[in-house]
Amino acid sequence: MNKKLLLILVLPLAALAALFTSACRWQSRPALYVYNWDAYMAPEAVKLFEKRFGCRVVLDTFDSNEAMYAKVKAGAGGYDVIFPSSYQAYIMHEEGMLLELDHALLPNLASVDREYLHRFGIDKGMAYSVPYMTGSTGIGYRESAVEGFEPSWTVFDRADLRGRMTLLNDMRETLGAALKLLGHSLNTRDEAQINAAADVVIRWKANIAKFENEGYKQGIASREFHVVHGYSGDILQVIEENDDPDIVYALPVEGFSIWEDGMVIPVDASNAGLAHAFINFMHDPEVAVMNMEYNYYMCPNTAAYALVDPELKEDPNVFIPEALRAKAEMIEPLGEDLQKYIRAWDRAKAER
Amino acid sequence: MRRSRIPFLTTLVVLAFFYLPILILAVQSFNHAKFGGRWRGFSLRWYEELMRREDIHRAAWNTLLVATSSTLVSMLLGTLAAWVIYRHARTRLQRFHFGLVYAPLVVPDILMGMSLLLFFVNLTVPLSIVTIIIAHTTFCISYVAFVVLGRLQDFDEALIDAAQDLGAGWGSIVWRILLPLLGPGMLAGGLLAFTLSIDDFVITFLVSGPGDTTLPLKIYGMMRRSSPTVINALSVIMMTVTFTIVLISQRIMLKKQ
Repeated sequence: MNKKLLLILVLPLAALAALFTSACRWQSRPALYVYNWDAYMAPEAVKLFEKRFGCRVVLDTFDSNEAMYAKVKAGAGGYDVIFPSSYQAYIMHEEGMLLELDHALLPNLASVDREYLHRFGIDKGMAYSVPYMTGSTGIGYRESAVEGFEPSWTVFDRADLRGRMTLLNDMRETLGAALKLLGHSLNTRDEAQINAAADVVIRWKANIAKFENEGYKQGIASREFHVVHGYSGDILQVIEENDDPDIVYALPVEGFSIWEDGMVIPVDASNAGLAHAFINFMHDPEVAVMNMEYNYYMCPNTAAYALVDPELKEDPNVFIPEALRAKAEMIEPLGEDLQKYIRAWDRAKAER
Repeated sequence: MRRSRIPFLTTLVVLAFFYLPILILAVQSFNHAKFGGRWRGFSLRWYEELMRREDIHRAAWNTLLVATSSTLVSMLLGTLAAWVIYRHARTRLQRFHFGLVYAPLVVPDILMGMSLLLFFVNLTVPLSIVTIIIAHTTFCISYVAFVVLGRLQDFDEALIDAAQDLGAGWGSIVWRILLPLLGPGMLAGGLLAFTLSIDDFVITFLVSGPGDTTLPLKIYGMMRRSSPTVINALSVIMMTVTFTIVLISQRIMLKKQ
């Protein structure tokens, strides 16, 4: 009797196990596992890649560099291409988590914008990462609600907008904005400058509603906030999707930060060949155009610049004019000196 | 003396506090605007978009697969655990066992997720949907065990003695006495486990392999760039499913008491 009972218990389990193994294997086309931000690649571009290479692209999404890093670092492998921000890619490279790229498999890298790369790139030789999209961090504001707006970080000192503004809840971005206002580099290693920037943030804190990384998009669309510190693509997307010309994106004259998301291949990628093909494909000028028009970010690819919709090409927020670009900087990794920023940021956040 | 209205009002306020946000979410899911906030007219466009999004369908399928299988497995194992804890309640081993079953209810998710991830990585088990199911089963067992233990409290052991006196073997005791009496408890525990499995984010995020995105993972990833309104629509559907299951599980519990 006992044996029969055991059988009753074990059989369903065995059936389930069989189901899974078969469910996992029913597709025979090779798969490319991509770990990316959500809604960051034009769906038609991905479909085209699948068709051209006879494979399927399995896309997983993450919502912050830190979450992605925590998971991959802990050993959750299996991805072939990951899209970290450039500072995160640098850290992953330092820790030996990334494959050296084989440029023989990446002919399209010839058209990657070298001027951009030398000026802003962290991995200037594209040894372990290839830039995917770049954009800026600036100010979005509601024109009808902000009288006499000047494109300057001083807007956060305006008491008449108290409680209607947000700053990014991001140490380097927000201290960086304050550093730019003070005329310093946002990659400074000078503790006195960083502390002065923290004092500026404390001053701004009296005027802002909160530090906010996500909700500001909805906040400015719903008129809850009038001035938000945010990423170019996010704000331009809000303008486009709400069809609301009253929202404007501005780049502060004192300077601002440029960010970049890159494409990397982790060392344990199971299909490094296809991963190279994917990265190369993303820099096919026509594919780069598809992605640019989908994202409102700039893909640093000179061949694509000529093909892109003129309206996008002339948008100073996507293709930033030289006068403004001259004061922009990429947020660079600082190693040990990052502690100075952490201390200053903690002080600014704790201050009441 | 007139009865005080304060308890009634308090209840009302608490209910509003619990359910008003959910109600707003549900209403917003029918908002035509892409970024909620201002009302731009009734629209089903977000539900239509949900119909079109194959990635969301895949995530929904994964979620159901994980929830169903971890529920079934944990119903089985959880009931067995409850049974031995109940039968041998006085032995030291079973009291220790009780503690072990109790622990997952209070251990923070992040700790469980991290330890499971390290466990799988160290054993070089490739992360896949199977590891999610194993992880979910570990915490679902505890919930099932506790609900079944609750039912066992008013279980009359004399029934088993009587059955044995009448010549019944263990097979027919299980089939004709234990299952009918414990069934509702198992089912209620199973439904509870099912809803927990559907909702889990932290543990799933850590132990999922590439391509095994479940709905909570998908929603979280979508927060950054997609429209919040699609997420609202998706949440309404998930909530409807969860509420229905909770309702059914309550019905089962009440009917038998």
